[in-house]
Amino acid sequence: MTDILDLPLRDARVQVSPREYVDACLAAIRARDKAVCAFLTIADDPAEGTIPIALKDNIVTTDMPTTCASRILPKFRSPFDATVAARLRARGGSIVGKTNLDEFAMGSSTEHSAVGPTRNPWDTTRVPGGSSGGSAAAVAARMVPAALGSETGGSVRQPAALCGVVGVKPTYGRVSRWGLVAFASGLDQIGIVTKTVRESAEILGIIAGHDPYDSTSSTEPVDDYFADLEAGVRGLRFGIVREAVEKLEGEVRENFDAAVAVLKQIGAIVEEVSIPTLSYAIAIYYIVANAEASANLSRFDGIRYGHRSSRAKKLDDVYFESRGEGFGAEVKRRIMLGTFALSSGYYDAYYGRAQRVRAKMRHDFEQAFQRFDFLITPTTPESAFEIGAKTGDPLSMYLNDIFTAPANLIGIPAIAVPSGFDRRDLPLSLQIMAPHFGERAMFRAAAAFERETNYWKRRPPIK
Amino acid sequence: MKIDRDEARRIAGLAHLEFEDAALDRLADEMTKILSYIDQLREVDTTGFEEAAGAIPTPMRADEPRPSLDRDAVAANAPSWDDGGFFIVPKVIE
Repeated sequence: MTDILDLPLRDARVQVSPREYVDACLAAIRARDKAVCAFLTIADDPAEGTIPIALKDNIVTTDMPTTCASRILPKFRSPFDATVAARLRARGGSIVGKTNLDEFAMGSSTEHSAVGPTRNPWDTTRVPGGSSGGSAAAVAARMVPAALGSETGGSVRQPAALCGVVGVKPTYGRVSRWGLVAFASGLDQIGIVTKTVRESAEILGIIAGHDPYDSTSSTEPVDDYFADLEAGVRGLRFGIVREAVEKLEGEVRENFDAAVAVLKQIGAIVEEVSIPTLSYAIAIYYIVANAEASANLSRFDGIRYGHRSSRAKKLDDVYFESRGEGFGAEVKRRIMLGTFALSSGYYDAYYGRAQRVRAKMRHDFEQAFQRFDFLITPTTPESAFEIGAKTGDPLSMYLNDIFTAPANLIGIPAIAVPSGFDRRDLPLSLQIMAPHFGERAMFRAAAAFERETNYWKRRPPIK
Repeated sequence: MKIDRDEARRIAGLAHLEFEDAALDRLADEMTKILSYIDQLREVDTTGFEEAAGAIPTPMRADEPRPSLDRDAVAANAPSWDDGGFFIVPKVIE
């Protein structure tokens, strides 16, 4: 018998009732999540729904706790639903659980979760990527057809790549962030994980659009993301970002070259283009993102919600000791870096300079998009690494986001699409970036590649 | 940029974070390494480029009253709460 969860949304919902669909997810979570550890909370009695979905546990809902995988939020219960949750519930969405993440979405492996790591469904000794590792692993292991994550530097696309599923980062401002726990407000965007491109297009159509509760959400009209899914890419222009691929070797390079060959074979025009500032993306990112994070995370003060140290005798102790006990090592490291970059005497040398290089990078991308409809790179420089391999070396962990961080710094949409497997049977992924609000064209390109390759049909060896 | 223990302690003070000395030393080392990587930004000529402002304009909304959060739901999350409607903190003024 076919597992209903092997099917895309629109095929599954003609075969089972909304009640059966949600129950199938709950059964799959019970059976498979012991090995994967993707979920932090499973909903008690989720409503029936035509879109069973999991939310990363930094997106608030009233019916489940929100922990951000942090000890500083041991039992926080939001008084309101995030706008994305409310919109999904209004359109057939049923939230079946909340997924694991690197604490406060800070990480690329989901190992920086206070609860423990999520495991990659393709090889449970390896990381699923991060920070939305729980969401990516849950979809890859066929526990839910769709999940939401959040992106600040690649936190949806990178785990989607490492887990062999589709990951979407919409344009900055395309999706309301009301109810997303803020990390870096100039970069954060809610993203989508599904098995196929069409399913992501469906979810984006539901969650996109202006929200009066998030003044940074765009008033740009929401496009019809299904309209061009079958249109193909004949004559469309794809730019290979030279700086991303010129130093790549081995299987990731071979796989990328094969993906380029597929695009050419279906009629795309593919040429190289230079983005000279690309290699600075991580340096810019870790100043800008951490500076913003150091300000955003000052709200966790032990006063209004979250952990308060039982040792605290004076008001200052409440801050220092509650935060000292509540935050994990990586979160503290980033708050420290960000605080340093904004501190008197260093602001211009670090934050100011990073913002100027970011402006130059934006200019490089604008130039490239004058010649090309899309820019492409591998989504990640390597396939899933082993648990523990990078936790002792923060910088090597950060560099996993080298190809994904630019889209966040520029604010453009980007998608990760499965592009095959390496010799260890670990997934590899193609990243397609489009200009601001170019999601419709981005889905068109990704769907054409997917139709030709069909890697999504292969499922990981989780029983 | 070299971060030593004293500089790490100064930053921790600004960030309201408590650390033990051993943790501060480790952190100072890690920050030094990360900042030396970030120092590659110095080699970029940014003449003509200003600090990037937001690429997308922020729409304004009418300044009209709207309901606030439910007080009981807020109180339920507070580490210490007075039913008169206050968060309780240690005495600030002696």
